[in-house]
Amino acid sequence: MRKKTKITIDPKYILAAVLVFCVVLGVISYRFEDKMTPIRSAAGNAMIPMQKGINSIGRKLSDRFDYFTTMKKTVDENKKLKKEIAELSAENKLLQQDKYELDNFRKLYDLDEQYAGYPKVAARVINGDPTNWNNIFIIDKGTDDGLKKNMNVMAGDGLVGIITEVNKSYAKVRSIIDDDSNVYGTVLKNSENCIVSGNLVRMKDGVIDVTGIDGNVEIEDGAEIVTSQISDKYLPGILVGYLRGLKKDSSNITQEGYLTPVVDFSNLDMVFVITEVKDSAELEEMLK
Amino acid sequence: MKRYISMLLLTIVCFLLQTSVFPHLKLTNVMPNLLVVITSAAGFMYGRKLGLFTGFFCGAFIDLLYSSVVGVSIFIYVLIGYCNGMINKLYFKDDLAIPLFALAISDLAYGFLYYVCYFLMRGRLEILVYLIQVMIPEMIYTTVIGIFIYKFMHWLEEKMYPEQEIPLGKGEAEKQDTYHVV
Repeated sequence: MRKKTKITIDPKYILAAVLVFCVVLGVISYRFEDKMTPIRSAAGNAMIPMQKGINSIGRKLSDRFDYFTTMKKTVDENKKLKKEIAELSAENKLLQQDKYELDNFRKLYDLDEQYAGYPKVAARVINGDPTNWNNIFIIDKGTDDGLKKNMNVMAGDGLVGIITEVNKSYAKVRSIIDDDSNVYGTVLKNSENCIVSGNLVRMKDGVIDVTGIDGNVEIEDGAEIVTSQISDKYLPGILVGYLRGLKKDSSNITQEGYLTPVVDFSNLDMVFVITEVKDSAELEEMLK
Repeated sequence: MKRYISMLLLTIVCFLLQTSVFPHLKLTNVMPNLLVVITSAAGFMYGRKLGLFTGFFCGAFIDLLYSSVVGVSIFIYVLIGYCNGMINKLYFKDDLAIPLFALAISDLAYGFLYYVCYFLMRGRLEILVYLIQVMIPEMIYTTVIGIFIYKFMHWLEEKMYPEQEIPLGKGEAEKQDTYHVV
């Protein structure tokens, strides 16, 4: 029989060492964010390609999953929709006439033109957050495609979020429904400023919080909220969602309500990144 | 050593599934937490050291790729791995009740710690709402998924270390009580 010559350390001490290491790491990553970047990108570069591959399986599975759960609904819906198509096509002709009128109004607003004028890059969502607590995802474009930190991300015609971290081949996006997200918004109709903040609990009902609207104004449900001029990270005039349920908050000075986002966050696939960072240099100078 | 490597590979596979497949399979807006399953299982089946090891990597992957502050998830997962390792003596292969119970507690603890670290610190005080809407659904879903992962790990264990019948006698009879009687 050989005698064991291995050195054994009591796991207690390893635990203590690791926990201390965590605290140190936390302080370092908080205080000197840029020092962690090489380690982060090393982990990212190892994981992202694998995630890209598996993600396609995930999408297929998700389609299957939807297929079974919605099959019955779809059949019923199909019947209803066919009836609707007939009605709608008649209506459509009328609406097309209205469209010319609308285009003229749009020009007056001047907002949408600015909006379409932002340069955009399309990107694909690789994966979602591994926890049930946050709403962060990773897209497959990075500095190689000209992305930078603080660029705005859209899907369809609504705001999705903002890039919080960018690497060579991928970027991390924090969506507006994340519990930690705050966006300065403006009610389109009367330019009333407000703060749109994500809320994990409310998101179950498909809404997030809107706070800080002046207590004296009356705004009806369904008013559009767009990103505000005064925000230092979000470009102005991007549609965020629709306001509802406005009421006085506990301070009795301002009002709060809910916002239904335009974007369907449960099934994000393609997003657009606006490759223009809001120039807040002026603002920073003023703050100095 | 073989076990450490296999656990690391399993961690990577679980992390990939967790981030790329399970977000599509959410039920009531909640997905199971495979990483807690794997950490808890490693601790429970192989002891404190492997629990620590697996927890460290689970936390590190999450922190490096998703969190703004590195260290919080590592802290939580390492604690889970270690605590599960402490009840390693209760491990008995054919029994799934105790590991699943431990897993449920671990996942609840994970949810609570995560809530304290990231939500309570920002003044989100409605712990009951978070408990009912996030932690408990996640716990149930995770425990159900845990059954399959434990089955898979038992199968893997058998492939890696096939049970050997130890012949009695042959001059080693005095040692026979140290072996399991097959």
